[in-house]
Amino acid sequence: MKSFEFYEPTTLAEASRLFAEEHAQLLAGGTDIIIGMKALTETPQSVVSLQKIPGLDGITTDGDSINIGAMTTVREVELSGDVQQHHTALAEGASEIGSIQIRNLATIGGNIAHASPAADTVAGLLVADAQVDIASADGERSVPIDELFTGPGQTVLTPGEIITRFRLPSPASGSHYIKHKIREVMDLAFIGVAAAINMDNGTITDARIGLAAVAPTPIRATEAEDLLKGNAPTPELLEQAGEAAAAGCSPISDLRCSAEHRREMVDVLTRRTLQYALERASA
Amino acid sequence: MSEYTVVGQTVARVDAVEKVTGAAQYGADIHPPGMLYGKIVRSKHAHANIRSIDTSEAEKLPGVRAIITQDDVPSGRRVFATDKVLYLGEPLAAVAATDPDIAEEAAERIKIDYEVLPVVQDVMEAIKPSAPRLHGDDTKDGPNRREISGQIRTLSRDKENDHSDEISKLEAGLEAYPDEVYYNISAESHTEAGDVEKGFAESDVVVEDTYVIPRVHQTYMEPHVSVASADSSGKITVWASTQGPFAIRSGIAGTLGIPLTQINVIGTTMGGGFGGRFGVIITHVPAVLLSQKTGRPVRVQMTREEEFTDGRPAPGCVIKLKTGATNDGRILAREALAFWDSGSVSGASIGSTIRVRGVYKIPNLKVDAYGVHTNKSGTAAYRAPGAPQAIFAGESQLDEIAERIGMDPVKFRLMNMREEGDEVPAGGSEPKVGYKETLEAVADAAGWWDREADENQGWGVAVGDWTNGCGPGGVYVSVHEDGSARIFHGSMDITGTDTAISQIIAEILTVPYESVTIRRGDTDSAPYSTGSGGSVVTFTMGNTAKLAAEDAHRRILELASERLNTNVDDLELKDGAVHIISAEQPKSISLGELAAYSLSTTGGPIVGKGSFARQASTPALAAQIAKVEVDPGTGRTRVLKLVASQDVGFAINPMAVEGQIEGGTVQGYAWAMMEEMQYGDEGNINPGFVDYRVPTSADLPTVESVIVEVPAPNGPYGAKGVGEPPITPTLATMANAVKDAIGIRITELPIKPEKVVDALKSNGR
Repeated sequence: MKSFEFYEPTTLAEASRLFAEEHAQLLAGGTDIIIGMKALTETPQSVVSLQKIPGLDGITTDGDSINIGAMTTVREVELSGDVQQHHTALAEGASEIGSIQIRNLATIGGNIAHASPAADTVAGLLVADAQVDIASADGERSVPIDELFTGPGQTVLTPGEIITRFRLPSPASGSHYIKHKIREVMDLAFIGVAAAINMDNGTITDARIGLAAVAPTPIRATEAEDLLKGNAPTPELLEQAGEAAAAGCSPISDLRCSAEHRREMVDVLTRRTLQYALERASA
Repeated sequence: MSEYTVVGQTVARVDAVEKVTGAAQYGADIHPPGMLYGKIVRSKHAHANIRSIDTSEAEKLPGVRAIITQDDVPSGRRVFATDKVLYLGEPLAAVAATDPDIAEEAAERIKIDYEVLPVVQDVMEAIKPSAPRLHGDDTKDGPNRREISGQIRTLSRDKENDHSDEISKLEAGLEAYPDEVYYNISAESHTEAGDVEKGFAESDVVVEDTYVIPRVHQTYMEPHVSVASADSSGKITVWASTQGPFAIRSGIAGTLGIPLTQINVIGTTMGGGFGGRFGVIITHVPAVLLSQKTGRPVRVQMTREEEFTDGRPAPGCVIKLKTGATNDGRILAREALAFWDSGSVSGASIGSTIRVRGVYKIPNLKVDAYGVHTNKSGTAAYRAPGAPQAIFAGESQLDEIAERIGMDPVKFRLMNMREEGDEVPAGGSEPKVGYKETLEAVADAAGWWDREADENQGWGVAVGDWTNGCGPGGVYVSVHEDGSARIFHGSMDITGTDTAISQIIAEILTVPYESVTIRRGDTDSAPYSTGSGGSVVTFTMGNTAKLAAEDAHRRILELASERLNTNVDDLELKDGAVHIISAEQPKSISLGELAAYSLSTTGGPIVGKGSFARQASTPALAAQIAKVEVDPGTGRTRVLKLVASQDVGFAINPMAVEGQIEGGTVQGYAWAMMEEMQYGDEGNINPGFVDYRVPTSADLPTVESVIVEVPAPNGPYGAKGVGEPPITPTLATMANAVKDAIGIRITELPIKPEKVVDALKSNGR
């Protein structure tokens, strides 16, 4: 590890100012950055900890909306009754990250700000239509989660901007997340697929599908969603949705698997996760 | 086995408390005053000429105490690459500094001018004339060029089961190969018994296939580490995490031209070895060189990434195999052609290709094996070196034959298995073995005979054989005035071997296990001991311990006969005391009293010595059955049941033996299903545990162990080596179970989800 300056500001404004400096990095749970620093893939000159800033963690409700502080650990997200009930896909995604020890440290803000296309919480946030609250020394703004990412490791965040909160406005009556992997636990997502469904009288009123690790950024499978909305779920419809989701993604081949396999798994797992989400929505 | 009181019983391991409390000293815990931190400078290319190495910028860095290259190796033996590197991560220099970060920074500042060369990573590419040559000599009679006969050149395979484009392409490449020569050959091995052509001609069924097994790492938890300290007199002390301190001592002496007595190797507690912890050059020699140059102790410790790029993993290989059998189930002939991926140096266990013969009566056998150079690090032993690869091919193909002739796979194996006195193809005759007993035991325990399977579920069986090694060892045992016994020896404890040695001593001295303690000496103090690998320790050191205890036993009776005024023949050692047999007045004297008495005798204290070198060992079988379920959508395979039996001869500590069976089986499962070192043109591309997957406890049900005991004539209490056999059949067990579940034979490991999905697709599912 290279030597670096370490700051523990107690206000967001101070953190933002320090973070705006060149070669500064934020420390949330540290489960990504510290590994990178040890491997010398990350060589920040200063590290700005968010751990001493009050009010950045915890899960609260505001009417239908569930608000998750960026410094909330993914273990808290995984175990939250509110998240489990209203945004099951997000809780399931959180439960797929690393080991329990890692999940006790890692934060949902870090998982998202790292901007890995394969992040396990991202598909769940996509299908929750999450709003991402961002603060800086200049003020606050909010962007929808599907507009946050611009590429692998890249976001719309400007220097000094810090994610403070995720707001999940509309609960789905059924949602589900499936991760394609080799190992049962402690594996990275080959792909991740989440679906959220609302039903009314046997008709799908709203359908959201989030896909991870199948494009440079996490994406929504909008064509598949459009096929579903306003229709009654049938095996044929789910098959069409799976095919549409697969057609809409642009995966790469890497050491984990081929692009073709990823595309096929989007098809298979979109159908499956929709099936589970529908069962939950109908229950 | 009720005749014994301590051996054959499960007892707590002697090292349990120190390991659980963290008191055990591993290599990285060693920190002598003034210690410097070493760092090895490694090649950033997989194949390149080295034009120059410039250390000047690194030398300027404050805190840097020494930088060494091959120029600093007085013996001239190759420690660092000089004019050419053959793999990514090959050592070029080493740095010692006052701080690990400074050492790392200095390593980065060393400028190396590379002329990058074409890379070859695939054995089937490396043997072609178009391949880059790793070791210059390309003359007709050069050592890396082999003439071959036409008949083994053609890799054919059974088209009925043709599912892998990749293998087909490999074969097409070879068939199109215009020359009669293989290139980049590091070694070869040929064995023949009978007449395979005749055997195939007489066969009703002949199956051919090509099996591809990946290179895998031993993934011991503790990376390589050594701390070396050269004092002003030239005496060198090395704290080494190694399976064989005496081998390290002679290795350092030989490499650096230092007298043996100038080197003391202290073996630290080992965080796993599995055969990969015998290397001398990897960290020990650089640490010694840096300490000699600086006059300070130096630690050289590898990172996990360095373990993957410059460890010595198990070789991958490509095996073409052909088997012929009659319709009534007799195997008549088997022929193998294997190419082992030896990496940049020779040393892959190509001789293990013979293991394709299995434990079967095969009258006609032909085995041709080649080691092939590629741009990867060299290889080393991994738990039954070479056997899992060869047995994967052999046992996979056996199931295909069984299926063709419509015979149950277990019955087919039982029918062909060798028994005592049967001829071993190209290998003498069998001693007393427990092959059939072991297979029957696993079949019964797993419920094979009334097995049921739902859709996409399947059962697989396979067996693997291995014979433990044997080597020299020495043990002393002392009996103290309180009746306790102390053992002193020099072999490294792996997998509870110190515990087994302690049990044997306690058994013979008839004292409680708890009153025996064991102490390991360094190479300066302890008698020579063979390395702890090759399932050797309990067999060798157990025999040695027995001799030492029997020697002490003799002295104890001698002392008692003096003390009790009785003939030695009338005495018996029992329950920690010597008793007069059939005395009219029962009389006895405790071991403690005898030990106290011994201190004032002419003969002196009770010290037993055991010295042992070699005895014939006996083959052991591991037999396994798996039940799996394959998800046809995702290609993921779930293990529902995994049962492993093993002929262990005699289980000195049954729980430790079960631990070995479980551990080996899980490693075999991992090799079959997920482990694989992947290579690109710039070398290893998955050098870490994110993309090199080892299983967790969530991936498997509890392995059900079944201990079979067919005693080995020369083993202590009949014990056979238990460490290696359990990994040998599991690769095939898994492939056979997947075949049963989906009806498709996967011949290329690991059986990853993508491979299963593609196989199902190409078979129209």
